[in-house]
Amino acid sequence: MAKGIWVFAEQRDEEIKKVTYELLSAGRKAADALGEELCAVLMGRGVGSLAGKLGEYGADKVYVADVDALENYTTDAYTNVLADLAKEHQPTAILLACSVAGRDLAAQVAQRLGTGLMTDCTDIAMEDGQLVFTRPIYAGKAFVKAACPQARPVMATIRPNVLAADAPQAGRAAETVTVSAGAGDIRQVIKEIIKQISTRPELTEADIIVSGGRGMKGPENFAILEELADVLGAAVGASRAAVDAGWLSHSFQVGQTGKTVSPVLYIACGISGAIQHLAGMSSSKCIVAINKDPEANIFKVADYGIVGDLFEIVPLLKEEMKKLLA
Amino acid sequence: MKIVVLMKQVFDTEAKITLDGSGKINKQGVSLVMNPYDEYAVELGLRIKEKLKGEVTVVSLGGDEVQSALRQALAMGADKAVLVDPGTEEIDEFTTATILAKAVGGMEYDIILGGFKAIDDGSVQVCGRVAEILGVPVVNVVTQAEVEEGKAVATCDIDGGSAVIEVSLPAVLTAQKGGIEPRYPSMKGIMQAKKKPMQKIGLAEIGLDAAQVAPKVKALNFFMPAARAAGKTVPGEPAEAARELARLLREEAKVI
Amino acid sequence: MSELMVFDEVREAIVMSGGEEIQKCMQCGVCAGSCPWGRMEEKSEFNIRAMFHMGRLGYDGYESDDYLFACTTCNQCAVRCPRGIKIPDVVRAMRSVIAETGGIPKNLKAVLGSINSQGNPWSQERGERTAWMKGVEVPEYTPDKEYLLFVCCTSAYDGRSQKVARSVVELLQAAGVSFGIIGVEEQCCGESVRKIGAEEDFTRLAEYNIGLYNKKGVKKIITTSPHCYYTFKNEYPEFGGEFEVYHYTQLLDELMAHGKLKLSKPVGGKVIYHEPCYLGRHSKAFDAPRNLMSSVPELQLVEFEGNKDNSLCCSGGGARIWMETRAGQRFSDVKIKEAAEKEAQVVATACPYCIVMLEDSLKNLNKDDVMTVKDISEILRESL
Ligand code: SF4
Ligand code: SF4
Ligand code: SF4
Repeated sequence: MAKGIWVFAEQRDEEIKKVTYELLSAGRKAADALGEELCAVLMGRGVGSLAGKLGEYGADKVYVADVDALENYTTDAYTNVLADLAKEHQPTAILLACSVAGRDLAAQVAQRLGTGLMTDCTDIAMEDGQLVFTRPIYAGKAFVKAACPQARPVMATIRPNVLAADAPQAGRAAETVTVSAGAGDIRQVIKEIIKQISTRPELTEADIIVSGGRGMKGPENFAILEELADVLGAAVGASRAAVDAGWLSHSFQVGQTGKTVSPVLYIACGISGAIQHLAGMSSSKCIVAINKDPEANIFKVADYGIVGDLFEIVPLLKEEMKKLLA
Repeated sequence: MKIVVLMKQVFDTEAKITLDGSGKINKQGVSLVMNPYDEYAVELGLRIKEKLKGEVTVVSLGGDEVQSALRQALAMGADKAVLVDPGTEEIDEFTTATILAKAVGGMEYDIILGGFKAIDDGSVQVCGRVAEILGVPVVNVVTQAEVEEGKAVATCDIDGGSAVIEVSLPAVLTAQKGGIEPRYPSMKGIMQAKKKPMQKIGLAEIGLDAAQVAPKVKALNFFMPAARAAGKTVPGEPAEAARELARLLREEAKVI
Repeated sequence: MSELMVFDEVREAIVMSGGEEIQKCMQCGVCAGSCPWGRMEEKSEFNIRAMFHMGRLGYDGYESDDYLFACTTCNQCAVRCPRGIKIPDVVRAMRSVIAETGGIPKNLKAVLGSINSQGNPWSQERGERTAWMKGVEVPEYTPDKEYLLFVCCTSAYDGRSQKVARSVVELLQAAGVSFGIIGVEEQCCGESVRKIGAEEDFTRLAEYNIGLYNKKGVKKIITTSPHCYYTFKNEYPEFGGEFEVYHYTQLLDELMAHGKLKLSKPVGGKVIYHEPCYLGRHSKAFDAPRNLMSSVPELQLVEFEGNKDNSLCCSGGGARIWMETRAGQRFSDVKIKEAAEKEAQVVATACPYCIVMLEDSLKNLNKDDVMTVKDISEILRESL
C-alpha cells in the first residue's frame, strides 16, 4: 500500500530553497489529513547537515542521498535515485518545486513510475479524501482543478511563493535515513555551468516585471527600477518611449510592437499608457501604476495606482518589499 | 540524420478563454497556431538538417485542424508530417507521450526535438516522458545546440544560470527561445509543402488501444479567475502609500 | 519536381490570391522611386519593384517583417505607376500566400488573435467597446435613425482616440444628424486583417458585420476612420454589403454647405494638415477636410510640401502600426520635423492610426511642448 507524502527538498549551493519549506508545510497538512508520514528527499553532495532544517519544517523522515554524482543536477542521476527510492517505498504523493530542475525531474520520474503529474500548481487541497491540485492554464486566463485518482504516487510541481511556509519548530527532529542507491548511468555530461551574475529573468518568462517609461527622465534613473526588480526577482521592461529615447534597447520594450507579456505582477513607473503599450501588458494579473499625472491612461487598467513622484515612491517601495520578503 | 520534431497546435496568445455549456474550455472563436516554442524546435531541426543533411519529420497529435500547423512546418522546410488522432478528448500528458513515443518509436530517429513547453496547458512534461519511454536521454530548455553525428552539445537554462550539456544521440532536446529565430515559410516552401506527405493515422495503426493510453490525471473542473475589481488609488504621503501598496500586493492581491 | 515548376506555381499562387496585376509590371521602377521607404534617413532594404520582380518569377527570399510586411499600403506608388497597377492589392495577395501557411509576423499574429477573440486588434475586452461614451449621450442605432456611426476600434479603446469619437458625436449632434451606434456587437472592420493577408479572417469579419448591419436595418454608415471607410465602401460590396458610406469629414462638409453645421468660435494658430492616405490618395476626399478647417475662424491652414496625391504616409497603414519601425525609418518622424520647421502649432489629421503614429513621433522628437496632434473633429468641436 502506498504510504507517505514526499517532498523533494531542492537545494542549491548547500542551502535549502525556500520553496521546499512551502512544500513541507503543505505536505504536512496533507499527511496529517491522511494519517501518513511526511518525508523529505534530500539529494546532493555534502548536504547531510541540511536534514535537521527539514525536520524543523515538519518532515518526519528525511531520506538523504549524499553522493558525489549528485553534486550538480543531472536529469539521469536524480531521476534514477528518486525513482528507485519511490519504487522501494511506494509513497502516496511526491511534491516538487516548479523550478527548472523540479520540472525536469518530475516528468522523468512520473513516466518511469507510470503515473500522472500536475505541473505549476498554485494550490493543494484535500477533497473527498484525495489530493486535488489547482493549476493555471492559458497563461493564467483559466484554472483547472485536477487529481490523479488511481495511479500512485500522485505527483505535482508547485510554483514557488504561492503557498505559505509555516514557522519552523526549533528542535523538532526528523529521522534520517541514508540512501545507498547509486546514481546509475548518467547520459547528460555537464561541460560547463555558467552562473548568472544577475538572475533577472527574461521579460516574457518573468512572473514580475518592473517597467519604466518616459517619466523615468533618463537612462541613469533606471537604476532605481533595477534595484526594485532585484528585490522582487523581477525583469525590467520599458515603454516604447523609453526605448526610443535610447535609454534601453529594443529587447526591453513591452507592448504590441515589442514584447507581449502577462506576468503575475506588472509595475508601471512613469508610463502614460499608450494603447500599444496597454495591448502588450493588460492581461497581466495585477497591474500597479505609479505616475504623477492622475489622468494617465495607465490608471484605467491599473489594479493599484499611486499618483505621485516615482523617484520618491519607487525607492520607498523597494524598502517595503525588502521587509516583506525578508 | 533523421530528425523528429514533436509539435502541438495551441490557441494563440490573445485568445479569450471562456467555458462552454459543459464547463470545459470553449474552443470556438479562437485562432489556432503552432505552439511558439515548437517553432523554435522546428527551426532547430531545420538548421541541423541544413548542416548535416537528412530529413525532418514533424509529428503531432489531434484532429484535422492540426494540419494547418503541420503544413506550416512543412512550408518552413520539414519533409514529412505525421498526425495521430487519439480518437478522444480525454487525454493527459501520459496519453500524449505514450502515443507520440509509440509513433516515433516506429520511425528511424537520431534526434527528437520539441518545444520545452506548450503555451496552452503549460505542462512541461510531454517531451521528457517521450524520452523516458524511448529510453533516450533528454536535455530540457535548450537555447542553442551544436549537433554532430552521434552527439549533441546543448546550452540550456538551469536554475540560476545556464549549462552546457553533452549527450550522445539519439536524444530528446526541448527548445526554449533565446538562441535562434524561427524562419518564415518561404514562397517556394509553401508550394513544395503542398506535395509533401502528410500521414494521418489512428491509434490502432501504431498498435495502441484506448486502455493503454488512458489518462492518469483527471480534470475535475475548470474555472475562470475572479473578475478584475475596479482599480484602487493608494492614497497618502509617499512613505505611507508605498507601505500600503506593499501590504495590498501581499495580502489582497497575493502576488508577492 | 523541377525547380522551374515551383517558380511557376509561386507566380500562379500570387495571381490566384488576387495579384493578377503583377503580370502587367514592366519593372520601370517608378514605384520604388516613389516609395517613402527609399527616402528615409536610414535606407530600408525594402524595394517594391524588386519584390514584384521576385514575385513574377516565382523566386523567394523576401518573406520577412521588414520586406514583405514593410509596405504601408499608402498607395503613393500606385498613383504613379505607368501601368496603373493597384500595387497594394498585389502586396496583399503576396502576403496572403504566406499568411495562409502561418507566415505572419509575430506581432501581427497577436493582432489577429485579438480580433478573432475580442473583435478588436488592441487586446481589449469585447465588452468594453462602448467605454468611450463616458460623458456623452450616444443614441443606440435603431432603424428609424438615418445613419449608423461606426467608431473605429482604436477610437473605441485608446484613451487618446476616445476623445475623437466623442468629438465626432458632439459635432453630429450639433448638426442635428439622426444617428446611433450598435456597440458591443460590433467587430473590427477588418481593413488591416485583409492587408496582413489573412483573407479567411477578413471574410469572416466582413460577413459578420454585413449580417449585423442588415439585421439592424442599416443603410448609411458614418466612420471615424478612413480605413474603415475604405473597407466598407470598397471591399464590403464583394461580400454583398451595399451601404452608403461617409467618412465623418465628408458628411460634415455637406452639412456645413447646407448651413446645418455652424463653426463660429475662433480657433487661432497655425494648423498643418496631414492627409491620411486612405482618405486622400485612396478615396480622393481631398476637399472636405480642407473646407472644414478653412471655415474655422482665425485658423491658419498650411500644407505639407507633399500633399494630396503626394502626401507622405505616416507609416501606420498596412498593419505597420503594430510593427516596430526603426528610428530613422519612421515616416511620421519626417512629418513632425517638417511641421516643426513650418512652425505649425497643430498637426491636424482625420485618422486614428495617424494620430497614434504622429503623437509617438512628437514625443520621441521632444516636440510635444511646442506642437500638438489633433483630429479635425477636435478642432471643429472647439469652434462650435
Ligand atoms: S511602377 Fe508599376 S510597372 Fe513600374 S515597376 Fe512599379 S509596379 Fe511595375
Ligand atoms: S504602397 Fe506605399 S509603402 Fe507600399 S510600396 Fe507603395 S509607396 Fe511603398
Ligand atoms: S494611418 Fe493614416 S497616413 Fe497612415 S496609412 Fe492609414 S491613413 Fe495612411
